[in-house]
Amino acid sequence: MVIVGIDVGGTNTDAALISEGRILATAKVPTCHDQLLESTTLAFEKLLNAYDRPDLSDPIELHLSTTLSTNAIIEGQGDPTAVLAAPGPGMNVAELNPGFPIYVLSGSMDHRGREVAPINQEEVLDAVSQAEAGGATALAVVGKFSHRNPGHELEIEKLILKRASKTGRITLGHRLSGRPNFPRRMATSYLNASIARHQAVFVDMIRKFMVRDRSVGRVFLLKADGGTMQLEDSLIRPVETILSGPAASIMGAEALSAYPDSNTVILDIGGTTTDISVQIKGDTVFQRQGAEIAGYKTLVPALFSRSIGLGGDSEIKVVRRLESNKETDASLSGNNTLDLDIELEIGPRRAGTPAAFGGDCITPTDAAVALGLAKVGSASQATRALADFAEIYGIGAKELATKIIDTFIKQLVVAIEETYEYLESRPVYTVSEILTPPDIRPQALIGLGAPAGVFIPPIAESLGLKYQVLPCYESANAIGAAASRPTAQITLHADTALGVMTVPEADYVGKIERPVLFGINQARREAMAWATKFGKKLGLDEADNIQIVEEESFNMVRGFHTVGRTFMIRAQVRPGVRRICSSPD
Amino acid sequence: MQTSKHKVGLIFFPAFDWAITPDHPEREERLLYTRDQIMEEGLLDVAGIEEYRPEIAEDSHINRIHVCVPDASGVITESHRIAAGGTMVAADLVLTGKVDRAFALLRPPGHHAMRIVHGSRGFCLVNNEAIMVEHIRHTYGPDIRIAIVDTDAHHADGTQDIFYNDPGVLHISLHQDGRTLYPGTGFVEERGGPASYGMTVNVPLPPGTGDDGILYVLENLVLPILEDYEPDIVINAAGQDNHYTDPLTNMNFTAGGYARLTELLAPDIVVLEGGYSIEGALPYINAGILLALAGLDYSAVKEPDRSARVTPQSDRVTQNIRGLVDTLRKMWNTRKNIDPDRVFGPGPVYERERRIYYDTDGISEQQFERIARCESCSGWRLVVSGAVHDIGKVSRIAAIIIPWHACRTCRSAAEAEFENACKEPQLDHVYLQDTERDRFLTTST
Ligand SMILES: [Zn+2]
Ligand SMILES: [Zn+2]
Ligand SMILES: [Zn+2]
Repeated sequence: MVIVGIDVGGTNTDAALISEGRILATAKVPTCHDQLLESTTLAFEKLLNAYDRPDLSDPIELHLSTTLSTNAIIEGQGDPTAVLAAPGPGMNVAELNPGFPIYVLSGSMDHRGREVAPINQEEVLDAVSQAEAGGATALAVVGKFSHRNPGHELEIEKLILKRASKTGRITLGHRLSGRPNFPRRMATSYLNASIARHQAVFVDMIRKFMVRDRSVGRVFLLKADGGTMQLEDSLIRPVETILSGPAASIMGAEALSAYPDSNTVILDIGGTTTDISVQIKGDTVFQRQGAEIAGYKTLVPALFSRSIGLGGDSEIKVVRRLESNKETDASLSGNNTLDLDIELEIGPRRAGTPAAFGGDCITPTDAAVALGLAKVGSASQATRALADFAEIYGIGAKELATKIIDTFIKQLVVAIEETYEYLESRPVYTVSEILTPPDIRPQALIGLGAPAGVFIPPIAESLGLKYQVLPCYESANAIGAAASRPTAQITLHADTALGVMTVPEADYVGKIERPVLFGINQARREAMAWATKFGKKLGLDEADNIQIVEEESFNMVRGFHTVGRTFMIRAQVRPGVRRICSSPD
Repeated sequence: MQTSKHKVGLIFFPAFDWAITPDHPEREERLLYTRDQIMEEGLLDVAGIEEYRPEIAEDSHINRIHVCVPDASGVITESHRIAAGGTMVAADLVLTGKVDRAFALLRPPGHHAMRIVHGSRGFCLVNNEAIMVEHIRHTYGPDIRIAIVDTDAHHADGTQDIFYNDPGVLHISLHQDGRTLYPGTGFVEERGGPASYGMTVNVPLPPGTGDDGILYVLENLVLPILEDYEPDIVINAAGQDNHYTDPLTNMNFTAGGYARLTELLAPDIVVLEGGYSIEGALPYINAGILLALAGLDYSAVKEPDRSARVTPQSDRVTQNIRGLVDTLRKMWNTRKNIDPDRVFGPGPVYERERRIYYDTDGISEQQFERIARCESCSGWRLVVSGAVHDIGKVSRIAAIIIPWHACRTCRSAAEAEFENACKEPQLDHVYLQDTERDRFLTTST
């Protein structure tokens, strides 16, 4: 079997063909705006041409990452969507300013999933009529604590469907995540409902997708967590496909990494920004609660990545002359040949086209080119531009170039340190985690992006780390798409005092048969079984390979007597990435 | 997205792996449902509410305010250090201006811990607020005027003990009447030592006091006193056991009442104390306090069983509280007119003897205290304390305490007393606590 990974980005569409851990071919074409299918086809064709061996008769698996859902959300192209919400007591939803219409319903659950107040059927149907009268063509239904008891959401869905509303599919909050956070659950459900129709059109298109008169086999879509989902599954959970492009790049770096089981830091150095992601024992750290997109905070699992305004084309400013100790700007320093030491600041804005490429800006790229560290563009143009600028401060072009490179490195080192400080200061809730925090500090540095070759070795040296500059950085995103594997997660909540077990992602609420005998081992077994069942339902081959990623268990005491235990177990189809050999064969 | 009116720092530390004993009210489960509620409400996503990690209090922080027997590391656990350290973080956030207000929502609590610590009493071992107060005075200036308003249902006897003769701290404790509840103290006559008479204000409330009563006390007594005193920092020791569902008390306060109290008091720092109705009260009270601190609408925060369980406060209780508030206002207003000799006797020292019971650890302490009455400072102190543990162990100690801004006479008298006490063969340990100079000496004889 061969896998084709395609990442349709805003500017370029990248494709990679991999088989058994080797890259067979890569290709790049400009993205035709809003023509996802065309871009995909073109990239695919070019990829096959690049490979062009007649023996490609194996079944092809297509892994596709697109900006479809991301752009629909960012550009506000989603369908008009209303959220029917049952907030119960607590924060005032009217103060939320969520960016979408909320129709408030009565009915509420408490933190253990016990019904506090029932829903009101008439009120639900009224709300649907009002929402539709208000122009909504898509609906989401979300209850507070619905991850502990999805009963009300399911009841409301049934009511709406029975009424044969114009609304087709309804998004229910509990199906998207078993994690707490009602406002995020609303936002996630809203976004999901609003892009569901677009996704359906897209899925239909991809089903008919043919290349060289040949249809592809299974199709998987990339998700924000760096994993994949089956094409069909994206009809229910389209929101999970947001932000898949950046995730694909990180997965590419993970797949190509020479340090697969180590703590690493990945720097993706581009023209305008550098993205920092962190791996602990090979797995990329996640966002604490979920992805943020277009101002919406969601529960969509997403890889953690910190973007800083520092890249090959960043603006260079003189911030201080050390000897005079005066804050001054380069543009203000009219006097020439002042023999002063200068301090630079790079970014966060992009300067423009580097002088080495015929532009009129001096950039970190020019410094690298002038010093012979990078063999791109025109070295003489870069040197001339640097010399003109340096002259004002009475230094030479080389000296300025060196200063620029040093500053760039220094700023990145600071940003890396800040990233780790941020991750290490994330709250924890146990004494043991405070006393013995896990060691997340990196052992190796992995770089990708055009300027990586220049900057990664000195940064690694300054941090005292091993390093690797990835060779196929131009297509790391497509390689990452191809190398990605399915992810799926369930949350099991069991409360033996109530005798109730819930798996929201699977719509399950059931009785615990013998609560007295239900302990942590049974809770784990149940969670793993549910994860397998859920994975199979999603059509995943890997559904038998389950791991537990989080667990919690508390003794429940009432009036000095133990009345039961409560468990929360999160289990998932073991993720990971296909390892790709980065050396050309 | 939602933005708060006031920037709030939350130090949430539920210590999910620590309990006094598995069935004890201070157990792993205590803040579980509070966490569930705060997370589900999405309160940490509000722009302007930021969560911070606690730090770990060192022996040196604890020794500024406590005399632990035999020593700090001998009695306290890491979770106590984290609770105290988290409370210190709350102070730092506010005093460095990173946030407007901070909420140390953590356990174990501390307001029953007195200066001398032989063990745990009222589930408390070290006093989180007191450790924070000394941290504030050491880091940000010794003359910062501090007010502590303790709204736990139990009398804050530990905090009262520590600041009893400290003119820099105003301590107001609202609680269920000591005749009906542990620890059995906190009456209106307890008003502070010779150097700070009137700076301890006790408000013993009748059982059955509800929102009306507590808010009446706040508006008609606490706020006027604070307005008069003009503190730089207001600390709310926010115990949550006045709630109508609390298993240990007989009060009738609601989550909405707590939120309103927080809004009116506008404390700089809130520190959780007791509160053991972990499902029926804490999730709602803590959500209410956090919303009120942030300046957001808390009117929809309501316990599921509130309408069924909360009855209006009885007229008898209302009358009782009105009378109490009148008395206490008069006492506050006339506190400076009272001749201290009439309260503390005419001599050069004030002496008192007390018996202190440690319910949690089963320790009985007999304490003799002597405070020098000095014109130039608040006076050095000698505490001689004997403790009998229920396992039969007996320990006798003496502590000599030099106050902030001690005059030269008191300082040298205290030093001399320490030298003498060290030679006393009946004493197991002798301590010198010199907080101003961050000096803590101990000698085992
Ligand atoms: Zn109190
Ligand atoms: Zn209490
Ligand atoms: Zn004195």
